[in-house]
Parts: sequence; C-alpha cells; structure tokens
Amino acid sequence: MDSNKKYWKGLEELNKTPEFVEKNKHEFAEPIPIEEVLSGGGLSSKTPRRDFLKALGFGVGAVTLAACQKVPVHKSIPYLIKPEEITPGVANYYSSTYDGSAILVKTREGRPIKVEGNPNDLLSKGGLSAQAQASVLELYDTSRIKDPQQNGGDSSWASVDAFVKSELAAIAASGKTISLVTSTIHSPSTQAVIADFILKYPTAKHVSYDAVSYTGIIKANQNSFGKAVLPHYNFDKADIIVSFAADFLGTWISSEEFTRQYVQNRNNKSLEAKKMSRHIQFESGMSLTGTNADVRIAIKPSEEGVALVNLYNALSGTTLPGSRKLTTANADKAIILVATELKAAKGKALVVCGSNDVATQVLVNAINSLLGSYGTTIDLDNPSRQYAGNDGEIVDFIAQAKSGQVGAVLFLDANPAYDYHSAAAVKDALKNVRLKVSFSDHADETTALCNIIAPNHHYLESWGDDSSIEGYYTIMQPTINPVNNTRQAEQSLLVWSDNAVKDYYTYVRNNWNNNLLAKGGLSGQAGWETLLQTGFVLTAPVAAGTYTFNLDLNAVAQTVLNQSAKLAEGNKVELQVYQSVAMRDGKRANNPWLQELPDPVSKVTWDNYAAMALEDIKKLGLEEFEVVTIEANGYTVSLPVLAQPGQAPGTVSVAVGYGRTAAGLVGNNVGKNAFPFLSFRNGTFQTTATANLKGTGDIFPLSQTQTHHSFEGRNVIREATFTEYKKDAAAGSGNDGEKEKMFDLWENTNEDHIHARPVYDWVMAIDLNACTGCGACIVACSAENNIPVVGKEEVGRRREMHWIRIDRYYSFEQNGGAKVDNRSGKVTQEKEIAKLEDFSNVSVVHQPMLCQHCDHAPCETVCPVLATVHSSEGLNQMAYNRCVGTRYCANNCPYKVRRFNWFNYWNDSRFDNYLNNEHTQLVLNPDVTTRFRGVMEKCSMCVQRIQAGKLQAKIEKRPLKDGEVKVACQQTCSANAIVFGNRNDPNSEVSKALKSERTYYVLEELNVKPGIGYQVKVRNTSSELQA
Amino acid sequence: MASHNESIIREPLMTGKDITYAKITNDILLPVENKPNKAWWIGFTVSSLGALLWVVSISYTFWFGLGAWGLNKTVGWAWDITGFVWWVGIGHAGTLISAVLLIFRQNWRNSINRSAEAMTIFAVICAATYIVAHMGRPWLFYFTLPLPNQYGSLWVNWNSALMMDVFAISTYFSVSLLFWYTGLLPDIASIRDRATGLRRRIYSILSFGWTGSLKTWQRFETVSLILAGISTPLVLSVHTIVSFDFATSLVPGWHTTIFPPYFVAGAIFSGFAMVQTLLLVTRKVLGLENYITMFHVESMNKIILLTGSIVGVAYITEFFIAWYSGVEYEQYAFINRATGPYWWAYWSMMSCNVISPQLFWSKTLRTSIKFSWFLSIIVNIGMWFERFVIIVTSLHRDYIPSSWAMFYPTWVDVSVFIGSIGLFFTMFLLFVRVLPSVAIAEVKLLLKTSSEQAKKKLINENHLDPAEVEYYKESLTKFDSIDTADYEKV
Repeated sequence: MDSNKKYWKGLEELNKTPEFVEKNKHEFAEPIPIEEVLSGGGLSSKTPRRDFLKALGFGVGAVTLAACQKVPVHKSIPYLIKPEEITPGVANYYSSTYDGSAILVKTREGRPIKVEGNPNDLLSKGGLSAQAQASVLELYDTSRIKDPQQNGGDSSWASVDAFVKSELAAIAASGKTISLVTSTIHSPSTQAVIADFILKYPTAKHVSYDAVSYTGIIKANQNSFGKAVLPHYNFDKADIIVSFAADFLGTWISSEEFTRQYVQNRNNKSLEAKKMSRHIQFESGMSLTGTNADVRIAIKPSEEGVALVNLYNALSGTTLPGSRKLTTANADKAIILVATELKAAKGKALVVCGSNDVATQVLVNAINSLLGSYGTTIDLDNPSRQYAGNDGEIVDFIAQAKSGQVGAVLFLDANPAYDYHSAAAVKDALKNVRLKVSFSDHADETTALCNIIAPNHHYLESWGDDSSIEGYYTIMQPTINPVNNTRQAEQSLLVWSDNAVKDYYTYVRNNWNNNLLAKGGLSGQAGWETLLQTGFVLTAPVAAGTYTFNLDLNAVAQTVLNQSAKLAEGNKVELQVYQSVAMRDGKRANNPWLQELPDPVSKVTWDNYAAMALEDIKKLGLEEFEVVTIEANGYTVSLPVLAQPGQAPGTVSVAVGYGRTAAGLVGNNVGKNAFPFLSFRNGTFQTTATANLKGTGDIFPLSQTQTHHSFEGRNVIREATFTEYKKDAAAGSGNDGEKEKMFDLWENTNEDHIHARPVYDWVMAIDLNACTGCGACIVACSAENNIPVVGKEEVGRRREMHWIRIDRYYSFEQNGGAKVDNRSGKVTQEKEIAKLEDFSNVSVVHQPMLCQHCDHAPCETVCPVLATVHSSEGLNQMAYNRCVGTRYCANNCPYKVRRFNWFNYWNDSRFDNYLNNEHTQLVLNPDVTTRFRGVMEKCSMCVQRIQAGKLQAKIEKRPLKDGEVKVACQQTCSANAIVFGNRNDPNSEVSKALKSERTYYVLEELNVKPGIGYQVKVRNTSSELQA
Repeated sequence: MASHNESIIREPLMTGKDITYAKITNDILLPVENKPNKAWWIGFTVSSLGALLWVVSISYTFWFGLGAWGLNKTVGWAWDITGFVWWVGIGHAGTLISAVLLIFRQNWRNSINRSAEAMTIFAVICAATYIVAHMGRPWLFYFTLPLPNQYGSLWVNWNSALMMDVFAISTYFSVSLLFWYTGLLPDIASIRDRATGLRRRIYSILSFGWTGSLKTWQRFETVSLILAGISTPLVLSVHTIVSFDFATSLVPGWHTTIFPPYFVAGAIFSGFAMVQTLLLVTRKVLGLENYITMFHVESMNKIILLTGSIVGVAYITEFFIAWYSGVEYEQYAFINRATGPYWWAYWSMMSCNVISPQLFWSKTLRTSIKFSWFLSIIVNIGMWFERFVIIVTSLHRDYIPSSWAMFYPTWVDVSVFIGSIGLFFTMFLLFVRVLPSVAIAEVKLLLKTSSEQAKKKLINENHLDPAEVEYYKESLTKFDSIDTADYEKV
C-alpha cells in the first residue's frame, strides 16, 4: 500500500522558508572551508571547540582500533616435512665416541646439547670426564674457522683441493718428504686413510707425537719385553697401588677408566666386604691422585729415581750400583715398608710411575715384574692405544724440515707451535717447508704458520671410529649437519690422495664391513644398524700373559741415578711440569666450562700458577699470589705463587695447557705456557728441570672458588680409618645407636603430617670414599642446567654459579706446637695449622656439596614471596618468576649452595666471550630456563629429568623404575659416588645406600633434615708409614 | 598564675630575656620567612651533591644489576642491609621523643620533637630506598605486598621476617608522618597568618583550615594523645621486627633471642645521637639557643649513656650465651668477630658504642657542646659498625668452611651509602627552610611555666626558699645561653 506520508526534518522544511530553500540547493547545509584549507589559510584558522572534540574523538577511536591489531607473535616454525625420528620436545640419543669412550649424544630438535656416557662403555661404564662433557660446547664455538683458508684469506674447497693436490704432486715428484704430523690416532679408519695417503704419496710420512707424552713407557716396554705398547692397567685387581707421580685418577692415560677401577676396591660395597685397597703415592706436587692416597709421601723429582732404585733393591734383595739413601729419612723408611707390603701382596700389587723417562720406566717394569704384576694388574696383550706418539719423531721432523728435506706438512690435531718445547724451532723449521696445511678447526698457534687451513669437522659432525683398547672398537656418527663450511680431515685426505672411495662415510662403512663388524659378530646392513645403536664392538680379550723382566739393570740404575743427581745439582728449586685436571694439554683452552672448572686440588680457575710448599714460601719471604719468575731450560715465565700443602719443599709445580695465544676469545692469554720447560733427553720429553726462582713483589690474584682450606674440626667432614671401620662399621659417622634421633618442640611434627610425599621422596647418597674430587659432575651439571660462566674476575669475587661444587679440605698430622682437634685427631683449625712446622703430611678430603633439599628447609621459611617452596616429592624448588632477589634464602642456607644472578649473564656485553651469543646459546638445554639477573638459583636435582622419567613411565602405564632417572652429576661420575633415587622405595639403591652405617647428614644437628646422606670417608692408613 | 609555675629547682626549658609569644614565633620562623644564609647554602650544596651521587650509584646498580655491589655467594647482604638497619634505627628517636615522652609528660620534648620527627621520616625514607634497592628485581617490589592476583593461591609468606618488615616499616612510616603532620598544623597556620600571596595560599591549604579555636585545640590535643598511644608500641615493634630479619634465621651470630630488646636499645641510642648531630648544628645556625638549651643537650646525652650501656650489656651477653650454649658454630662466630679478619670492625663498634659513651658520666663532657657533637658522630659510626659486624662477620664465616669468604665493598656500595646521607640532609635542609624546625605552639606552652624568664620572675618575687634558689642558680652555670652575671645581684 502506498503511503503518502511525508517526513520532514524541521519546521523550516515543512514551511519551506526561503533560507531553507536557498540552503537546500547545496550538498552541505553549511559551507565547508575546503578552499580555505587548500589555500593554506585553513591551517591558521581557529579550530572551534566542537571540531576539536570531534577530531579528538575520531583520533582516539582510530588509534584504539589500530591498536586492536594482534601483537606480533614470534612463531616457532614447525617442520614442513617432519623428520621421522624428531618429535619437538623429545630428545633423541645417538651413540658415538669421544676419545675412545663410547658415548651417547643427546640431541633436541636436531642439535646436540649434551654428551653422556654409554652405560656399556668398556672404559668407564657410563662415566665421562669433564673434557668429554664440555666438548659439546665447542661445536657452537664462534671462534671456529668457518671456511677453508688459503694464505690467510677465505677460500673454497675446490680451490684448496686444486692447490693442495698440485702442490703435493709437485713435492712428491721432487722427492721431498710429505709429513703428516698428528697427535695419537687410535681410529682404525683414520689410520687406514693415512695408510692410503702414504700409498699414494710414497714420500709421505706419519709423524705421531703427543703434547703430553707416554713415549717413555712404550719404549721401556719395547726395551724390557719387546712390546712397544702402552699397557692396559687394571687398578681393580690391585690391593696395593704405589704410584710415583702418576696422576692416574686425574690425567694419566685413561683416568676415567682408572677411577672406575680404583673405586671398586674402596667404595661402600667393597668396604662392606671388609676389603679396601691401599694406595701409596710418592710425588712432588699435590695431584688429584695424591689427594686420594691413603699415604702420600712428598718427594722431590730428583728423588723419584733414587726411591725407585731403593724400592727395587728392597724387593729384589740386591743392591744396584750407586744406590744411595733418600735425603728425607721419612721417605727412606717408607720405601722399605712399602716394599714389605708390596711383597706380601704379590700378584695383587701395582707400581706405576708418571715419568716419561725410558730408564725410569724400565726400572718400574723390573719392579712390577718382581711383583708378578704382568698378567694380573698389568696387561701387555690387550694394550691401550690411547697414546702412541713418539717424541723422537717430532724432533726428527723439525730437524728435517729445518734442513729443507720436508716439502709439505699436514697438521692434524697437532699444534706444535704451542705445545712443542721450542716454538721458535717449529717456526724456524716451517719457513723451509713449501706446503703447510692445518686441519685445525680453530685458528691456533700452528695455523698461523700454515698457508692452507682445511678446517676439520667437530667430532659431533663426523663419521668415524675409535679403538682405545685392543679389541674395543667404537663408532662415531654425526649428530648434526656441519655448522660451518668445514670438511672432515679424513675426507680431505681422501680427496687429496685421489682415493677410490669418494667419501669418508663409505670409507668407514667399508672398513667396518670388511674388518671390524665381524669382531662383534655382526655383519651387513643389520649389523651396521645394530652397531649404530650399541655404539661399539668388543672382541673377547686375549688372556694377559705374564712377562718377566730379565735384563741387566746396572746401566739403567746408573742412568736414573745420574739424572737424579743432575736434577738436584746446585741450590736451585726443582721444577715439575704437570697436566691440570681441567685443562690437560691445553687443546680445549677455548672452552669456558673447562676454564671455569676449579682445579680439584687448588680450586683455582682461569689460570695456572707456581705451586710451592708453604715452608718455601715462608723461607723466600714470598706473599700469597706474589708473581715469581721461574727460569729453566732457557725459558723464563712469571707466574703467581700458590701455597700448596703437600708440595715437596724445594720444588715448584707448573701446569701445562695454559698461556695459549691463539686459542680463541676465551682461552687467549689465560695463564702462562709451561711447555717450553720440557726438554728432550734420551729420546723422550722430560717434565722435570732445575729452575731459578725469584720473587718480583707484584701480586696477581688467582680466582679460587674456595679460599678457606681447613674444616675447622667441624663434623661436616667425618672420617675413619679402615682399621676402625673393620671394628665398627659406624666408626666416625657419629651414629652411636641413636641414629637420627631428634627432639622437636612441636608434638605433631610427624613428617608425614608436615610434608606428605605420597609417591616419591627424591634423595641422594654420596660416598665420600668413592668421590675422587675430579669435578666432572660440575661440568655435567653446567651443561644440563644452563649454568652461566662468569669469568675470572667474577669468580675472584666469589660469584661462580656452579650448582654443585666439590669442597676440598686439608688436615695435617700433628707436629710443631699445633693442637689436634678431638673429633678427627688431626690438625684442622686455621690457627693451629699456622703453628705447624711441616706441612707435607697432609690428608685431603673431597666433599661434593649441592642443595641438600632439606625437608625443613631454612631457605623456604625466609622468602617473603614464597619463591622457594617444597614439592610433594621432597624437592626444594625455585620459582624463578616469583623471585624478587632479596637473597635471604642464600644467607640462611647453612650449606651455601644458592647462587644469585648478579648480572644478566645471558645478555650482557661484558660476558661476551663465554656463552653470550645466539650461536653458542644453541647448546642450551631447552628443558631448563635461563635465569634473569636478580634471581636466585640452585640445584633442582635435575627436576626436568625427573619429570621426563615420570612422564615416560606414565605413557607406558607402569611405575617409575629405580635407576631410570639419573641426575646429571650422578650420570657422569665414573666412580659412582652419587646415588639418586626414591627413598619411599625401600629397595631402591639410594635407600640401601642410606641405610649404611657409614651414612651421616651434614649439619644434621640443625634439624633442617637434609635429603643428602654422606658416607664417611675411610682411609686405609698405615701408622708405620705415616710416622 | 603562680600555681602553674614549675618548681624552682627544675632547670628552665627555655632561656633568654624578654621572650614573648611573638618573639618565639619570630625566632623560630626566621629561617622560614627569610632568604637562607650562607651556612645553609653551603650545607645544601654539599648535601645535594651527595643526593646526586645517590641517584648516580642507584641508577648504575639498576642498570647493570646487583653485581655492581661487592656482595658474593656467601655474603648476600652487606652495606645494603647495614645501611637499612642503620637508618631505621636512627628513625627511632623521633617516635620515642614525640610519643613516649609525650605520654610521660616530659615537657622538654617540646623543643626537639619537631626536628626529631622530621628526622625520623627522612631516615625511614632512606631505609625504604635500601629495601627496594637491595632487591635483585626491584621492579617487582610489589610482589612483597599481599595483592590479590590471578595466580590462584599465590600469596606472600607471612612466616618470613622480611614480610613482617615490609609491614613494620610502612606502618611506622605512615604513623610517623601522620603524627608529625598533625603536630605541624597549628604552626603551619601561624606561617599562613603571617604570609602573603602564593605562600599564603599554599600554607592555607597545608594548614587544613586551622582556626585556633578552643575546640580545635582540644581536638588537637586529643588526636596527639591518641597518635602517641598508637606510636608507642611502634617504638618497640619496629626494631623488634627488624631484628627478626636476623633472629629468625639460623646463621650463627644472628640466631639470638636477645636481638629484639638489644636492637630497640641500639635504635634509640643511634636515634638520639643523630638528633644530637642535627640539633647542635641547627641550634647554632638558626639561632635557636634559647629553645634548644643545654638542658636538652644534657638530657639527650644521658639517654645516650643509658642506651649505650644497655647495648654494651647486650654485646657481653651475646658472648656469654655463645660460650654457654656450647654450640661450636656460635662460639666460633663470636670469637671470629673479635679476632677474625673483621676484628677491626668489631673493635670499632665496641669502642664507639660501649666505651666512648661512658665518658658522659662526666658532667663537664656531657655539657660540652663540641664534645657532645663529636661523640654523637662517634656513636653514629659505632652503630653503623654494629650492623656491619652483625651482618657481614656473621655471614662471611658460617657453617661450611669451604664457603667462607671476605666481603669487599665496591665504589657503588660506598656511593649508595654516602649518597643516602646526602639525600637525608637534603631533605632535612629543605625541611628547615619551609617548616618550623621547633614546634612553636608547644614551645609557647613552656613560656609561662618553665622558662628562665618565668623562673627569674619568681625569684624576684622573693617568696622562695633561698636554698632552692641557690640550687637553681648553680644549675644555670652550665647553660651557654644564660649570662650568670644577671643572677649575681639577685
């Protein structure tokens, strides 16, 4: 229906007033000042209030709408085509090998983040050294060489290959030598590649040398038994171990394996069987092994030979010509007593010596032969391949290079410009070499002298294999695509020698298919796949034969005694050069985790130093950390002095591995180089020398993580002797029948009532008798828990961040006017120690210290914001996001295990050379958050691993099994000193360990109810030897 | 009204001749109503430079993190909490003077309470800055407040002494501020009445419309008394709770039940010393000798002597208990205080806090202005060392010897502390310029009863026991603001 209604807007329209009619002609009722605006006048015109409000309204509205756009989201991009085996958030493990040990590499989303021991590894059964733990960080080192280099500039592989091949051909044609200088290579495939290379270039020669050499032992065995091998030692078969300066728990040959073996006769299990080996150490500087010895006798390097001669005399009943008494009556007497004990333990005794002198090692062979060690504690038939370098070869190479006989040199894993005793000679010699190639993945001291750098892969990017012990073959497989434009050295050698096999992976497979798989009873593709899962093959060992030494020793004794006499000549100090546990030969100097790992004995980080006896320091009027100049073998170095209890008076010890000048951002100029102190004598490098020592008056503070070294008689350390232990298993533990009887003010402090832990109660047991103090756990923990590296200066301010530390305490036998304390019967108090006259008779104890996860945690009650609370599984947890950083918890922690983020270590330019860059941060464990500055942190008992284990069990619908979850420190411990598990399960390993009579809790009298039980340190001391 | 006159044997609380109500107002408002003198400018320049140093060093800390300070894994608190407790302690005299002495009707407080209360407020501000600054993440300081949040049951920890501290300090600050401001109202009104222009408008607003009627005065008195009643327990509670920061922990040397009374005594001790430090200078510079007299100085010195002795007894008791407890850690902590690496801090504390105040047994010394000032500084230093000794020497060697460490302050630690003193003095100097530093109204109460002038009039009236008059005259000899020659003829 049509409507004739008319709508009008106003009376004006209805009435059609003339004004309205006029206005209605235009589109807008009021004129719009467009012209004005466009002509520019509009801008200066006044804005009416209404317009202003309109504009304001529009503006606010528009801005509001614009602001409604979504915040940009940083997306994690999912895999377009997901690799079959990768599930984001779930770690993959690949078996591989590190330095001959079978390992497992943990990768997350395609990047390796942690190295873990393979539990079936022949050497350390799942334990790993600090070096192996730290090696993963080097993959992400920004100072690695990213491209091949020719004459100092970046190049391409094609041009490098063309150049090297033409040069090699020319050199081979000219008949000059092509030297392949390497450190020991114990990879069968690499050895085969080198052999092929030599086949192609007949003038090629393989020069194998080790910065820290065992040539002395190899040559001595050649000499004594006709076998030029490094024997495989069995410390587990020895009831008596006598070591002359061999740091077999720290650095000597195969320290992780030896640690495992050694502890087998000293741990709780062995003690419960009333069995404990006795370990006697004769040495100058205090080594990690020395700290673990039952009896340690400090002798000068010059007395080592004399002592060995005397020991031989005492054992054999003869007297070698020229034998003389030791200068200290104590040591002299000790040798006789040691001989008696050794004789009594014939067939179960082992004498080892750290010397690299052939004559000395021949003498040791003679002694071991007398003791029937061959075939029992020493195995010459399944020898170790860990070190096969020959010192003479490198010396010869340098001489030949100097004389111009060498046309080309290829350095693989060798850095003679740093670790050869005369860098000048190396430089000089290399001037006469036409082609110098380095495979180093870092610009090091030697690459600086080379015209070609063909950077090698990191071992986590490589295919390969290893054989550390005869009959034990491990496989190395890559866990990541090469990060840089590098190429495996073996591949380069294959290319340069025009090998029929084009790539090294095929080469390795062929080698295994043809030679090695069969040794493990494997074959074909299936065998190869099995190998990649198990990680190794092992042939049944050959029965170790007995060997008898029957050569004339007169000349040997003469040499040894003459050398000793020469060392003791004049009124000088005797210098001993050693490897530190953290830095070893310095190849890993650019690794901040290792630089920050405190030395197990001195607790010094980021430096080497001159370790001297307290008596000498007093005598020479030196101050703590005073810089001294040490001059020996024509080389002078300035190092700060460290007062080392147990150091033989008249000696000074300096660690090698420091003073790198081209290691990278981290390792450059840390400490001073001690390799030039070595000398070449009788075919081997000697590590001792006579030195002149002078104070300079300058002070160079060392950064120690522990500066108070005595335990003040406090019962945080509890010890007993083996004799006492045999009488009473609870000896020294303080458990006198009323174990853990506590009195409480509150009636209902029934534990279940306060903290119900219905399923799990995570606790730990640490056997002080098993822990050697090596510190591998510290690095493992850093890798697992993303612990920042803080650098020398911050460590010096006592701000290292390690969640686990190893406390090391010295105590002394009574002498002088010092008083012993009642509990330990030793001199343990600072002010009493000051009264001692003789500091050499020192006992050492190592105590791993980490958050004790107290059930009555004092940190929890004082936090104003409840940032640290107790879990229903007995863990003391940190809520980082809630922490405001009052540090009250750290103050109130009696164990001082809490660590505060003083700076933003992950994003602060001052920490740039450690982990603070995006590339290196790829090593971070994504399951653990990095902590912001101002936040407290501490050991979480690897709560991420507990969670992962529980989840796995839940998925598989089964209860969590004991031992399924291993915390990082426990996992890497070759000594198995740390046991972790559920206390609610009476059959768990940890429950059993905690039931031991030796168990005590540190500071249990505070009633904080710590969750970590320690087991009393037991020493198999001998009162006669110590007197 | 002779019946309201005070006994002649009491010393006068106000000196000077021809004092009238108007003169009192004029005298006290002199600095407020005139341009500042040279001494003020010098003081203000130095203090503001100090305050600037505080701004710089605090900013540096916030920018780089707490690592800028010398703290470490073993010593988690050092100059920060030392400074905090020191300032809170200083703040204590104000409340004691204003509240406790009011309840006990100690009229001599009238001349000093204003400055003492102002000092309290500024000292508590300085202390509060330390609370925030010492946090690792100061931008999250509000986590320490029980604010409702979206995290379910996430609440603050009422067991933590730090939590109680937040409440103790904030309560103390608010009550002190309220008390101080209430007392200021009649005086602000006085300024308002004499001012013109913008000043008049500002002071008019600040005076909350004070009329001065009888009813206003009556209410004023009531409110003062109520606030005094509220404040009195605070005198005891605040430092008790501060002492809980230590006493409720298990650090040897902290875990001590004697801490609450010992801390309260120490706080009053240091507070009076700081009042002395400030007032002896203010009195001279602002010409207030007639209102802050030798009687006040001596009274405060007596309190310093008393509280210093209490503190001394506490120190000795701690040692005795450490020995008596038989706890080796406790024993070591105390032996280490006296003979360890920080022995110098301990003996500085002992000589400044226990030995030196004993000199006040001598009347000559306690009525010497110069000596009193010198000793007040010594006590301030000693009380700083007391907190340093308690905090640093207890922490640096506690249970596990491997973690024993030394604390070395950095330039930032020192600057924050010196800066906080600068901040304090800047605030105080601004205060004396804009508000009366002596409570005008309350001092006026004394004029007719307790002033020297009133007493002289009494003597002149000649109705008094001559022996008592002689006694009175003798007591006047110590006053530096009285010319004893005036009394020779009477």
